[in-house]
Amino acid sequence: MDLVASGLGWATCSTEHAADDPMISAVGLGKRFRSLTAVHDLSFDVGDGEIFGILGPNGAGKTTSVRMLSGLIAPSEGTARINGMELGAQSQAIRAITGILTESPGLHDKLTARHNLGYYGRLYGLRGANLRRAVDRYLGVVGMSDAADRRVGGFSKGMRQKIAIARALIHEPEVLYLDEPTSALDPSAAKTIRDFVSTLRDAGRSIVVCTHNLDEAERLCDRIGIMRGTLLEVDTPARLRRRNGTASVRVELVGARQPASFLDLLGDLPFVEGARVVDGTLFVEVTDPRGDNPELVRALVEAGARIVAVREEAVTLEQVYLDMVGEVGERDARPIGEVA
Amino acid sequence: MRPGFIWAVIVKEARDLLSNRLLLGAVVFPALIFAAIPTGIVAFIEVNELDPAQLGQIEQYLSQFPDLSPKLAAQGFIVLNFMAYFLLIPAMVPMAIATQSVIGEKTARSLEPQLATPMEVSELLIGKAIASATPAVLATWGVFLLYGFINGAIADPALTSLIFSDVWRVAMLSLVPLICLLSVLLGIIVSSRVTDARTAQQIGGFIVIPVIGVAVAGFFSGQASFTMQQVMVGNLVVALLIGVALVMGNWIFDREAILTRLG
Repeated sequence: MDLVASGLGWATCSTEHAADDPMISAVGLGKRFRSLTAVHDLSFDVGDGEIFGILGPNGAGKTTSVRMLSGLIAPSEGTARINGMELGAQSQAIRAITGILTESPGLHDKLTARHNLGYYGRLYGLRGANLRRAVDRYLGVVGMSDAADRRVGGFSKGMRQKIAIARALIHEPEVLYLDEPTSALDPSAAKTIRDFVSTLRDAGRSIVVCTHNLDEAERLCDRIGIMRGTLLEVDTPARLRRRNGTASVRVELVGARQPASFLDLLGDLPFVEGARVVDGTLFVEVTDPRGDNPELVRALVEAGARIVAVREEAVTLEQVYLDMVGEVGERDARPIGEVA
Repeated sequence: MRPGFIWAVIVKEARDLLSNRLLLGAVVFPALIFAAIPTGIVAFIEVNELDPAQLGQIEQYLSQFPDLSPKLAAQGFIVLNFMAYFLLIPAMVPMAIATQSVIGEKTARSLEPQLATPMEVSELLIGKAIASATPAVLATWGVFLLYGFINGAIADPALTSLIFSDVWRVAMLSLVPLICLLSVLLGIIVSSRVTDARTAQQIGGFIVIPVIGVAVAGFFSGQASFTMQQVMVGNLVVALLIGVALVMGNWIFDREAILTRLG
């Protein structure tokens, strides 16, 4: 995947929308299939050079949303503009600037990897030397140059996924929708793809990633929307973790004084929501660890505490996700007790 | 309608077909078999003398060729009468290719990435239709030419003239492509309703029944070949059926229906 190392080299994004308008702007989008409402009241923006993650359980409407936004199916309600173009009236033009990695690779098994990419390159308007160059380049990007002339029917799941990713990139789209981009890839290939997606962001591309991989979403996405029929919450990964509860700060002490002797002091601090001692370690609940921790440490030290470590036991994205989609999940953070 | 997109689909489908030997065999072998049977009979008559006692039984057939000797007239009747079966090739073969193509796309879930491109559904379907029909048309024409020349070489050049008559030249150039197109459209429509190629081909196989009926009726009526009027009526009927199939296809194959039902 030399492209990641050597720089992307994509042309600058040909922005059609006004400078202060987002690349993707959906307002009240909805889709009904007869009596089934798959998506309703979907509103969000994605800016230039932003990676937006959509998290949601199966059947949450992620694929339907992507299909609407990429001009594949018409919404039943609402509107959207992609790079300043109206969904519906300009869907064909929207499809021309959109790359999509579908849930299933959907390759033509009897064709070679080169012919698969060549076919899609033609459908995106590439011809002659430009087409050949693009095919060779993106086979290289996904590390599949050696298998270029083999039929994809004989490929492993991971190899097929790589070719599908190359297919989504071949026309250097301005908007990219990636459905589970690293599923079926080994950790090394997954990291390369994540790095490459980050490089695309740096080149100003707007990217929407649908994933079940919470760790990937947290590492890759600038903002995340948690979806179940509609977007329940949209924010940065860090703020999502914060807004759904307090963080617990773990304070490890040494010395003669028992940690429990500091509980009264902590109860008097206005920013402390609760505190308790577990196995000789102090756990303090605060709403804003970044802002509150310095004050917390100062108060404890002034009261005679000898602190050896302070660490935030943050709420994980998984916990936030499971809370929102209504499932009970394991919590990584320890249970938080009542204020002493 | 943009030719570049249609051409891209045709090239892709051709590559797909050429890599599928079984399907390729299904294109060529039926045509060869339909041509080989009457050619074998012509060769048999050529090396054997006709029994004068049996001439009376086939006199009504031979009377359609007053300028030919009884032996050549018998050969002429055989080659012309079997030519109705040439219409089976464009009825059967494109359907096999089209159903394989659409069901294959359904199984591989490859329709969605194609429809995500700027290509229109109509361009995809036209590309598929041309790619499915062309091999059958070419196979039929190729075997038709071989049939004419080989039978002429076995028996008499008069047989070549009978085979390459105005009626059959018109039928080859008009009726054969039309039947191919109808077969493809029906194959695509049937494929949208089933999940495997075998079922699609079994259901689609009903299309050959009217064609077989025409061939058998010709044989029992004692009419050696079609008339120009019959070919023109056939063209009209098939063109009307194509119109109906196009309306149905347009209704079944909008982008959303493909993605939600077939994708």
